[in-house]
Amino acid sequence: MTQTRRPANAVSRFVIEYPLIPIGVALIVLFSLLQPHFFSVTNLVNILTQSSVLLIAATGMTYVVLTAGIDLSVGAMMFLAAALVAALLTAGVPPVLAVILAPLLTIILGAFNGTLVAKAGVPAMLVTLATLQVFRGIGGHLTEQQSIVLPAEVRFLGTGDVLGIPRAVIVAAIVVAVGSYVLRRTRFGRHVQALGSNPNGAWNAGLPVSGLLIAVYSVAGLCAGIAATVQIGRLGAVQPTLDLGFELTVVTAVVLGGTSLNGGQGTVFGTAIGAIILTVVENGLVLSGASPYLFDIVRGAVLLAAIVGAGIPKQLAAFLTRRGGARAPVTS
Amino acid sequence: MKLTKTAGVVAAAATLLLLAGCGTTQNQAGTGSSDDKLTIGVSFDLVNDIRSAELASIKDAAKKQGDTVEFVSADQDAQKQASQIQDLVQTKKVDALIVIAANNDQIASSIALANSAKVPFIAIDRAVSGGDVTFQVTGDPVADGKLAAKEALAVAGDNPTIIQLVGALTDQNAIGRRDGFTDGVKAAGKTVAAEVPTDWDPSKALDGTSNALQANPKVNTIFIPSDYLLPSVQSALQAAGKLKPVGDPGHITIVTIDGDPNGCKAIKDKTIDSDIVTPVDSFGEQAVAAAHTAHGGKSVSPAEAQVAGFALNQANASTTLSKTWGCNTK
Repeated sequence: MTQTRRPANAVSRFVIEYPLIPIGVALIVLFSLLQPHFFSVTNLVNILTQSSVLLIAATGMTYVVLTAGIDLSVGAMMFLAAALVAALLTAGVPPVLAVILAPLLTIILGAFNGTLVAKAGVPAMLVTLATLQVFRGIGGHLTEQQSIVLPAEVRFLGTGDVLGIPRAVIVAAIVVAVGSYVLRRTRFGRHVQALGSNPNGAWNAGLPVSGLLIAVYSVAGLCAGIAATVQIGRLGAVQPTLDLGFELTVVTAVVLGGTSLNGGQGTVFGTAIGAIILTVVENGLVLSGASPYLFDIVRGAVLLAAIVGAGIPKQLAAFLTRRGGARAPVTS
Repeated sequence: MKLTKTAGVVAAAATLLLLAGCGTTQNQAGTGSSDDKLTIGVSFDLVNDIRSAELASIKDAAKKQGDTVEFVSADQDAQKQASQIQDLVQTKKVDALIVIAANNDQIASSIALANSAKVPFIAIDRAVSGGDVTFQVTGDPVADGKLAAKEALAVAGDNPTIIQLVGALTDQNAIGRRDGFTDGVKAAGKTVAAEVPTDWDPSKALDGTSNALQANPKVNTIFIPSDYLLPSVQSALQAAGKLKPVGDPGHITIVTIDGDPNGCKAIKDKTIDSDIVTPVDSFGEQAVAAAHTAHGGKSVSPAEAQVAGFALNQANASTTLSKTWGCNTK
């Protein structure tokens, strides 16, 4: 058996485990050079605020992807949650109650997805592709495909601040922190990773596979509902195209953050870095005054560079391992 | 006995062929509705208030004529729209089509299908090309953009710092409005400080506007190419502490296009300065009239109509609000 050693210092280990961080730093430096307003406290807070919805939704998606699943209905769930809030307000439900009910609804929607995946044996992509249509259709019916401006009373999660920190950022930070803790420090989190790493092994070990699947999709649903309440708080309106295609951005953040689509490998913290990097790119492009026609090209190129760059430390670690110089870190 | 059986089979086959032939003839001519009452197939998305207003105008005009409307929602998907139009023409055998193309380039195959089935193809809102389009009535996005620039510069003063939002770059209306506004600004010797692409996405509009405000702290003018994005811009301004009413020293001039209910309310609330109203409520009447003309075997002349918008602003609100479709919706 080849004996390996861990990299000597903590910084090296950290970079190898979270290779996107130096990529993020490089992007920040680049955009700071292009636009002096980029590297300011105001703009950095701006970036975190703009990341908040994606951070929350992507946290939930991380759990799903860790089981080698996927939830393409996230955007539609968020839209339906927003539509429900609007409908409840119209029906005279108090604003705070309407906002609380939204995530409760999306937990049920997520559990529905999970039950179909677990019990019907249908691939998650197909299940959630179908429920995407259903959820969006129900939301469209509730809103009658109209734009609905929301009253200030429902916007409390997306506006205002506490001690100078935007509420949206606080909510996102709490969700990311709790999501990360549960995944790394609880038995449930370990079971989720075990299921993704080796489904047969998990089954043979007596893990409640069906229950785990229902639970992770419920978590994704919960996060989608919370993300929706923050989003409508920021936007102040529910519009028919709200979150159309957003699921792809969510999955991108998760994958960019190092979670494997094959399951079993990834972290919520990595997802958070991925989400923030995506937002940094959008923010930097607007601030730098780039032509709108270049946005897609630049965005894609930066993502490609980030993905390739993120792979280099792992390749280096593998190389050093083969040469007996370092041990590849175990990501959890 | 064998000969009788064979003759029976041949007779049955001949009967079936005869019936199919009759059906084919009817397919080409439509459902066989009575001369004055048509079945009109309508295909477009319902993603905003304008689309709802356009559909309502078609239904109102159709009702006056005693026509039936078969509406299918294309959900902004060009492939889905092509399939739906095929169903409308070949299965439901509509007498005419009224379409807002999900993609101006990919609609050509649907136009060809309608042509081959001799079903009048009428385009509204977005200009299309490629094939024999019976009639098309659209707004004039370039003229609307130029009018928006004129309205903005009239209020903004001599040294405007302008943020310009841009809709989806695949949408000709978005391109036209952008080009018209940019040309109008340039003609006045001014420039646009920042362009914010939105893909007609409210979240992108919110974040993009926030970023543009960050990069251009002295902004005093914002052009929004559609009222659909107005709530997002207002939220961004509010978050930045810059949402001030008209007349306030800190007010940022806002000019938008469409004249939808949000825009109407914003004019009444004095939070925006001008809204270029696209008279979409007239599209339905013209489209249905063209359908009847074409169904009667006559050519529609002129085959194209462009309807420029008009300005609804703080100065003329008292007389213009009533003419704005967004102020008259239920």
